[in-house]
Amino acid sequence: MLEGSFTVVDIVLRAHDLVKVYGGRRGQSQVDALSDVSIALEKGKTLGIVGESGCGKSTLARLLVGLEAPSSGTIEINGHLVQANEHSARRALARKIQLVFQDPFSSLDPRMTVEKALAEVLKVHSLQTNDAVARIAELMAMVGLTARFASRYPHELSGGQAQRVAIARALAVEPQILVLDEPTSALDVSVRAEIINLLVRIQDELKLSYFFISHDLSMVRHISDDIAVMYLGRVVETGRYDQVFSTPLHPYTSALADAIPVPDPEHERSRQASGSDAVQVQVDQVTRGCPYAPRCALVEPACRETAPALTETSDGHFVSCHVALRVASRRPTDPTMSDAPGGDEP
Amino acid sequence: MSRPLLEIKDLHIGIVRRHGNDEIVRGVDIAVGPGEKLGIVGESGSGKTLTMLAVLRLLASPPLAVLRGEILLDGEDLAHVDDKRLRTVRGGEIAVVYQDPMSSLNPLMPVGRQVEEALKAHGATQGFASERTREVLRQVGLADPERVRVSYPHQLSGGMIQRVMIAMALATSPRVLIADEPTTALDVTIQRQILELVSSLQATTGMAVLWVTHDLGVVASLVDYVAVMYAGRVVEKATTSQLFERPTHPYTKALLASLPGKDSAHRSRLHQIGGTPPDPTRLGVGCPFRVRCPYAEEKCAQEEPALLDRGRGSFAACWKDPSQW
Repeated sequence: MLEGSFTVVDIVLRAHDLVKVYGGRRGQSQVDALSDVSIALEKGKTLGIVGESGCGKSTLARLLVGLEAPSSGTIEINGHLVQANEHSARRALARKIQLVFQDPFSSLDPRMTVEKALAEVLKVHSLQTNDAVARIAELMAMVGLTARFASRYPHELSGGQAQRVAIARALAVEPQILVLDEPTSALDVSVRAEIINLLVRIQDELKLSYFFISHDLSMVRHISDDIAVMYLGRVVETGRYDQVFSTPLHPYTSALADAIPVPDPEHERSRQASGSDAVQVQVDQVTRGCPYAPRCALVEPACRETAPALTETSDGHFVSCHVALRVASRRPTDPTMSDAPGGDEP
Repeated sequence: MSRPLLEIKDLHIGIVRRHGNDEIVRGVDIAVGPGEKLGIVGESGSGKTLTMLAVLRLLASPPLAVLRGEILLDGEDLAHVDDKRLRTVRGGEIAVVYQDPMSSLNPLMPVGRQVEEALKAHGATQGFASERTREVLRQVGLADPERVRVSYPHQLSGGMIQRVMIAMALATSPRVLIADEPTTALDVTIQRQILELVSSLQATTGMAVLWVTHDLGVVASLVDYVAVMYAGRVVEKATTSQLFERPTHPYTKALLASLPGKDSAHRSRLHQIGGTPPDPTRLGVGCPFRVRCPYAEEKCAQEEPALLDRGRGSFAACWKDPSQW
């Protein structure tokens, strides 16, 4: 949720106006991978980030964990400004936020056993307790791996087992936040549910906060508390998972929600062809106005002139769309909005 | 089903070794008629990709080889056609869209020219090829087909590249289109548009489509029939609506149950199948799913069932009728 919502919440990470520009040197064309992205992650909650390939969700992940520095904008963790430009600062950051990649095999060293891979993390972060062996066993148990896996090499693991190792390695530094970049996309369908169940369980046990980045919308809806929808480097809609997918305001979100594959052919066949003419637009094609305008079924002249700002329409539900905002402003104000203490919080 | 356009009969594919072969595709029967859409669903290692490669005789041989079986295109056995005929079949009568588009294109050539090359390889003149290229690039919904035509692969996004690959496959007006997970890397709205595009082309040309995927959800919307593969065999065959309404193989049932549905409670525990897909070279006797199957009984360890008729067009390789589950 963004600032401006009435709920008092414990924010563990807040990104403010993040911008990332690539290129632009020596006459190269410039690509705005991220434009003014502001997001906030609540403690113990999951923020799902959805959008098509090229929308900037992986760039955002890289900025959040400090793999790259933003061109401008700030990231705060627990209220402290992150400055990942120094070696020691980066290491301190890594203790708080860890990234789990899509393909576990390419993120594990093929020449290291599970035990060694975990021991290495403890060593790098000087977490060598008296009993590293016990700590490794504990980490493995946490992700549901029995002791016999300790001596295995990555090629001796299945995709699901390897992803468990990658998660254990991320947990080794006792981070507060995990950035999960498509954590199940490279896995067999029959083991995806296991990894999702595991992520939900360790989140509850360890009070972790997650960024869950995925294009699998049904999985995002299943696991996320809040959702941010990205389009061409911008957040175009954000809110609680049920707000975003049940009452989407942005036409792009509607198109996405409409296109979620449902394992039910009757539902699929009755589905109307969605209004979105799904032509993919290149980042550098939009120079002014709303970036979604070229694809939008509801486009108006104003959309091609000025880009809409991300604006709150109801409790915690933000959208950047001229049409949606006009429709929302005509609705009578929801009386429960400011009165309900804690909003969706228990 | 009308007379099949592409028919795979009792296909066995193995790794050929000096001391006997390891069979990894073990007797696949699949048929698809003109205008029909068949989904082939399976996890990695189930043999779905090998089966598709065998259709075009593209198996890495050695060590892989077709051990037994027939592949018929409109009655013509593709195992015995000469190289010249094979070249007209590949990419001409049977076109394939692969899952990794970036590695399928030449990085040093504008993509439009690559589509033209494909057409010229199948006998088109330069004039026709360039006209047809423009036409198909437009058809696949690219925003600026003229710009894409002269672009190099690295200048295009993954979604655009995949559209180019689909355009290239459709350019020769194939009779059979094999799509091997072509949309996994794409945004769902783009996926849907490509699926609708293929369906509409199919309606006008009578093209048969084989949609290979690991994602049952994707299959739901776009195919008429589904063949579910597991450990080198088809374990269930059904119409799409029957498959979802009344799965007759425990594996299919478990796969469907593991997906978060529209009605499943938020953050509730998803159904886990347990275990891992088997190593296709170490199957042993009996049903390969039995170790993960909640309904397994003694018989399952002794003998592997053939596809049994379960009524209403469903066939399952399982000893137990779903009513006994």
